[in-house]
Amino acid sequence: MMSAWADPLGVEAESPSILAELVGIGVRYGSQWVLRNINLTLRSGDRIALIGPNGAGKTTLLKALLGMVPAAEGQIRWAHPKPRIGYVPQRLQFDPHFPISVEEFLAVSAPGPARWFGGVPRSKSRAIASVLERVEAVDLVGKKLGTLSGGELQRILIAAALLQQPQLMILDEPASNIDQRGSQALQALLWDLHKEYGLTLVFVSHDLHWVGRLADRVACLDTTLCGLGSPDEVLSDHYLEKTYGDSFMPKLGGLAGERNPL
Amino acid sequence: MTLGEIWSYEFMRYAVLSAAILGPLCALLGVFVTLRGMAFFSDALAHSAVSGIAIGFLVEERFGLHLDPMLVVLAFSLLLAGTMVWLSRNGTLAPDTVIAFSFTGSVAFGVIVISMLGNYRLLDGILFGSIYANGPQDIVRQAGLALVAGGFLITQMRSYTLLTLNPEMAHVQLIRSALLHYAFALLIAATVVICLKMLGALLLSALIVVPAAAAKLVSGNFRTLLLVSLGIGLLAPLAGVWGSIRFNLPSGPAIVISNIAILLACYLLRPLLNRLAFR
Repeated sequence: MMSAWADPLGVEAESPSILAELVGIGVRYGSQWVLRNINLTLRSGDRIALIGPNGAGKTTLLKALLGMVPAAEGQIRWAHPKPRIGYVPQRLQFDPHFPISVEEFLAVSAPGPARWFGGVPRSKSRAIASVLERVEAVDLVGKKLGTLSGGELQRILIAAALLQQPQLMILDEPASNIDQRGSQALQALLWDLHKEYGLTLVFVSHDLHWVGRLADRVACLDTTLCGLGSPDEVLSDHYLEKTYGDSFMPKLGGLAGERNPL
Repeated sequence: MTLGEIWSYEFMRYAVLSAAILGPLCALLGVFVTLRGMAFFSDALAHSAVSGIAIGFLVEERFGLHLDPMLVVLAFSLLLAGTMVWLSRNGTLAPDTVIAFSFTGSVAFGVIVISMLGNYRLLDGILFGSIYANGPQDIVRQAGLALVAGGFLITQMRSYTLLTLNPEMAHVQLIRSALLHYAFALLIAATVVICLKMLGALLLSALIVVPAAAAKLVSGNFRTLLLVSLGIGLLAPLAGVWGSIRFNLPSGPAIVISNIAILLACYLLRPLLNRLAFR
């Protein structure tokens, strides 16, 4: 197979470029291996879901991608220049009574200086207004961050990630703290962002409906990569049983046939 | 006693200056101390100063070596702060556990040294301090620290806030978390040492924690929080100094009580203020 790098004339113009190649990545905490021998290629425009049981190393893999945990073996080969990354955490670690407005939080998240005493600088406030419009949360701008609902906060976290002008968006369980309706709206938003900007998505999810609808590739983790392929392939009974065990099976009736109504 | 009369005494002038310099600095630091959940850390560092001061006296008494006591405490506190941060980042113990044994250990060590020296009266000054003991040299030091520490905090505010709220995003933006964490711990240590004369080891953390806590009650956003904290940080120690002169009270406790009174007022006024301007 030819890679996009080997194609200076652009003959293969439609073939998406490689953002990163994970080659035999292994991560350990002390003597305990959390990840082993992970091989995965991220191409521009991919929508990759990471699934697997608790403790399978999903969050660790995200942290390795962010460069927050070093790889004990293998390496990540990034494209040049390295793609800009937006990260959406599962939740924020903070006291909900801490007074910071949505606009101030976004001003903190946007790269570049923040002027506290004189309010948010004008250049930043324009960028903030535009990402808030994009995530349909303009009315939240003056609200206190701690008073937002799960779905509202998730939108603001996505807005914060968009302020990095990312090519690659990494999300850690984006649907875990929100209700069904909010979850569907969030799926739709991510789908639109992907369509509009060609944004590459890598996300962890326990919600296999989410995975089936949003992802075009699914990586099943259980310390090692125990499955990688289209949702139809990986979300099959065989794989899921292997990864999650028998107890998981009843919840999944007919899932694979349901995908991608967006 | 009128304000003019207060100003006419040199030691009172120094007290007022000291309160006006250190109060706002501690309040600004306190915003980030409370945001980052490090109130216990700053309290522990203040208590540990007992050891630093005792060591200074021991060296002077036994070896006849006169060192500036403030420099000895500063060196001790910086070392202790760095060690506590290192232990909680690299060890298996929880940060509050590390803090608890480090500070009780240092207090115990300090008291043993003081008892060896047979100078228990020393303890009174360390524990409660007196803002009236400030001289011109102290004011210069305090102003210097306020400039450096305040300038550092103001330029690094965005980094510290992002680091606390969203550490992964901070990492993506190449914000150096370990470096900033150590710098913050050392900043707390230096501030605590400089404020020791004003409030003493036992009461000092009130000056750091209370203004931010009170401001948090009545603020709807970060900017208001900063401004209100600074305002309380200026007002409360000055009111404390005035109260201590007017009613002949010990200065440290008077400053703490005026801080607590403002906290209480903010708590009671909260429903009203929330309805008015701050939301």
